[in-house]
Amino acid sequence: MSIPGPAAGFEAASAEVIDLKALQADSDIAAPMAELDRDLVGLAPVKQRIREIAAFLLVARARERVGLAAGPPTLHMAFTGNPGTGKTTVALRMAGILHRLGYVRKGHLVSVTRDDLVGQYIGHTAPKTKDVLKRAMGGVLFIDEAYYLHRPENEKDYGQEAIEILLQVMENQREDLVVILAGYRDRMASFFVSNPGFRSRIAHHIDFPDYDASELLAIAELLAAQSDYRLSPAAREAMIEYITRRQQQPSFSNGRSIRNALDRARLRQAMRLYAGNAVATREALQTIEAEDIRASRVFAT
Amino acid sequence: MVFPEMEDIMGQMGNFTKIQDAKQRYKSGVIPYATMGYWEPDYQVKDTDILAMFRVTPQPGVDPIEAAAAVAGESSTATWTVVWTDRLTACEIYRAKAYRVDPVPNTGPGTATEAQYFAYIAYDIDLFEPGSIANLTASIIGNVFGFKAVKALRLEDMHIPIAYLKTFQGPATGIVVERERLDKFGRPLLGATTKPKLGLSGRNYGRVVYEALKGGLDFVKDDENINSQPFMHWRDRYLYCMEAVNRAQAATGEVKGHYLNVTAGTMEEMYERAEFAKQLGSVIIMIDLVIGYTAIQSMAKWARKNDMILHLHRAGNSTYSRQKSHGMNFRVICKWMRMAGVDHIHAGTVVGKLEGDPLMVKGFYDTLRSTDTKVNLQNGLFFPQEWASLNKVMPVASGGIHAGQMHQLLDYLGEDVVLQFGGGTIGHPMGIQAGATANRVALEAMVLARNEGRDIRNEGPEILRDAAKWCQPLRAALDTWGEITFNYTSTDTSDFTPTAVAV
Amino acid sequence: MRVTQGTFSFLPDLTDRQISDQIEYCLRQGWAVGVEFTDDIHPRNTYWEMWGLPMFDLRDAAGVMAEVRACRETHPDVYVRLTAFDSTRGWETVRLSFLVQRPAEEPGFRLERTEAEGRSIRYGLSAYAIDRPVGERYKSKQANAAQGDSP
Repeated sequence: MSIPGPAAGFEAASAEVIDLKALQADSDIAAPMAELDRDLVGLAPVKQRIREIAAFLLVARARERVGLAAGPPTLHMAFTGNPGTGKTTVALRMAGILHRLGYVRKGHLVSVTRDDLVGQYIGHTAPKTKDVLKRAMGGVLFIDEAYYLHRPENEKDYGQEAIEILLQVMENQREDLVVILAGYRDRMASFFVSNPGFRSRIAHHIDFPDYDASELLAIAELLAAQSDYRLSPAAREAMIEYITRRQQQPSFSNGRSIRNALDRARLRQAMRLYAGNAVATREALQTIEAEDIRASRVFAT
Repeated sequence: MVFPEMEDIMGQMGNFTKIQDAKQRYKSGVIPYATMGYWEPDYQVKDTDILAMFRVTPQPGVDPIEAAAAVAGESSTATWTVVWTDRLTACEIYRAKAYRVDPVPNTGPGTATEAQYFAYIAYDIDLFEPGSIANLTASIIGNVFGFKAVKALRLEDMHIPIAYLKTFQGPATGIVVERERLDKFGRPLLGATTKPKLGLSGRNYGRVVYEALKGGLDFVKDDENINSQPFMHWRDRYLYCMEAVNRAQAATGEVKGHYLNVTAGTMEEMYERAEFAKQLGSVIIMIDLVIGYTAIQSMAKWARKNDMILHLHRAGNSTYSRQKSHGMNFRVICKWMRMAGVDHIHAGTVVGKLEGDPLMVKGFYDTLRSTDTKVNLQNGLFFPQEWASLNKVMPVASGGIHAGQMHQLLDYLGEDVVLQFGGGTIGHPMGIQAGATANRVALEAMVLARNEGRDIRNEGPEILRDAAKWCQPLRAALDTWGEITFNYTSTDTSDFTPTAVAV
Repeated sequence: MRVTQGTFSFLPDLTDRQISDQIEYCLRQGWAVGVEFTDDIHPRNTYWEMWGLPMFDLRDAAGVMAEVRACRETHPDVYVRLTAFDSTRGWETVRLSFLVQRPAEEPGFRLERTEAEGRSIRYGLSAYAIDRPVGERYKSKQANAAQGDSP
């Protein structure tokens, strides 16, 4: 049948006693939770919030099973935080968790911004928004920088039309999809003030803090290891310094900045090896040296 | 695949070398075919070569390689003795080359069957006239089948290169356009052959057609031997059948058809009948395999020109396709008929009353319907075949099938097939309409269930019983035929079943 | 009469749940599903009105079902069908098509016969409902009754 779900655990339980551990095992949310822990450095408060939500949903299932007041819980969420703090990655894992708990049928993530929802001329917006919503049915719709939907300075803005359609679907088709709105903390706050309709339909707010320097270093090492690279001890020192300098710059975007820095270091490593000897050892091929990092413009100032 | 006896048999095969010296080679007299150049074990097959694979049973004492070379020779340029006129031609090109000989599993010493060999032969494309099945077959299944050096010979499979395939029209309509024209998608089509086969007057005949179509069938069919006989002449039949078709369309709002058999003694008469069918607005006509390959190709061209679906009844094929040691495999007929250009061909039911091993039938259906057939020894497909955008042929499953087998039919044959329930419609205890309705309901219920993800192979009987709760005609059909099966051993079976390997 | 066009017309009208399961099947095959409607049910009327374009890249039937419901609400008394399109090479055509709404009453078809030479007959088929203008061909039973009662 089309609705996958944790049926087995519920069938097994009697009407009065529910084995929550068995329920958890049956719904197999351990896997996405473990992935979350493994793939994402730090983010302790975020992970804690997700554990809370997962527990809440699990218990909601159990309550439904024994006939306590239930009803489809509101699952729409807001993820706030600076760029590169892991919002999209967490949204992806969240889709998996919701799917395993049977709250969304397919568990895919459709990630959009204003341009995907709002049209250029009259009559363009509704079909665009509906098309996105239809693609997201059965999964999670992730709207990045959601506040751009609302342009108070322009009262004829088509964004309002998209907002109205979104609100209607978020209210009436709660079992068909989950919407996650994401963006900077302060801008989301003022967006919710001017659009109380959204605020009332969002059940869970998760705030994504900036990474501290040691977490950023861990991210760098994790990313390197994922693609069979490693930092030499000197390179590691360089990376620590790089992070400190980069954090001061205005365009700093957490994990994303680290990913970019590493990509550029890999290019420099390749140039270095190419310009040097014709032969390279396996060791050399996988090692990023300090000079690959220190050549960055970040060190120029 | 490993066959322990293979090594031994290979050891018995002769070691022939092609004579390179021209003086030796063309000295008057008789020399082995294998040394004339018809056996080339190192031959590199060209992309444009036509390939054939024969099952050869050599006469006692004849070496299998010499037998294979003889088949290559006799189906291409050779005669029984050396001729000097070979040297006026580029004979190296025109000689067919046997390039591989394999012992057939489970034949030869220690088995119930005398030794057989699979001989692979390559033919240059210039040996054949473009777009002519007649010319192709005159070589491949010509004199060679009477050749004394082989005790029995069977053409098992062929590979047609794209270069040659593109000289054929292919199916006049094809599965895709047939469905678009009929506005029928996502399920097998349903048909029935009017019964009794012979003796009904035109007026009574049309009654059967109307009842079956109104009851839910898409097609009714003339039988292969309904042409123009004293009890019913063709014009009369056509007129009454088209009245029935049009009445049924008005009663259901669906497109309906009756395969009007245009088979006749001459091409002129066939064209005349086809033209009349077209004038009357029929969507489909039919011919019999016995009219011959050239007549079939002519009718296929006519059908393409006149937007007509062309149904082929395989009357006669079992005279040469059924026995395993001699004749030709039906999958080769399937290939030729797809090239010749028919839209429908009877290709077996698996579960019905006529010959049809499940694996073999699967191979026939793949040959007719796929765009790119893969090698599958179990299903008897010895060569890959890229179909070069030739249309697909709709296979027809007919003969001793009934509503109670619907899950097996859908499971084995898929949805691009015409299921023909002749007796299973007309013999229904509540009448022909009820018989047709029972089949249509059973079919739609089964497709619905399959699409819902149910395991129809196992749950099929239950799905049918559930539908029979609200459909009385289906209930009556299941009560009448529910238990009828035809469990006879097939004669044309796979040489490569998993059990054969285990022995 | 009951028009039996479409894949499942010999079964009782499908429930929304059954329709949804068939849509899921289509999506699993990678087909795009479109909603179409008409009040001209002639068997050779190929081009029904499209209720929007066929829907590409969907993962779940809910999106199609929303359009089915919207089409039914706007056109409560006409024929509505779902059509699934396959873009695979060698197919590139409709692979499944079935009715998801039919009018309350289906008056059926008139068959006109014109005598031609040699006992041939030219047949003409038309739905009785086609005599009324577009938009007024099929009305619900209640609407018909109300109209008849009015002075």
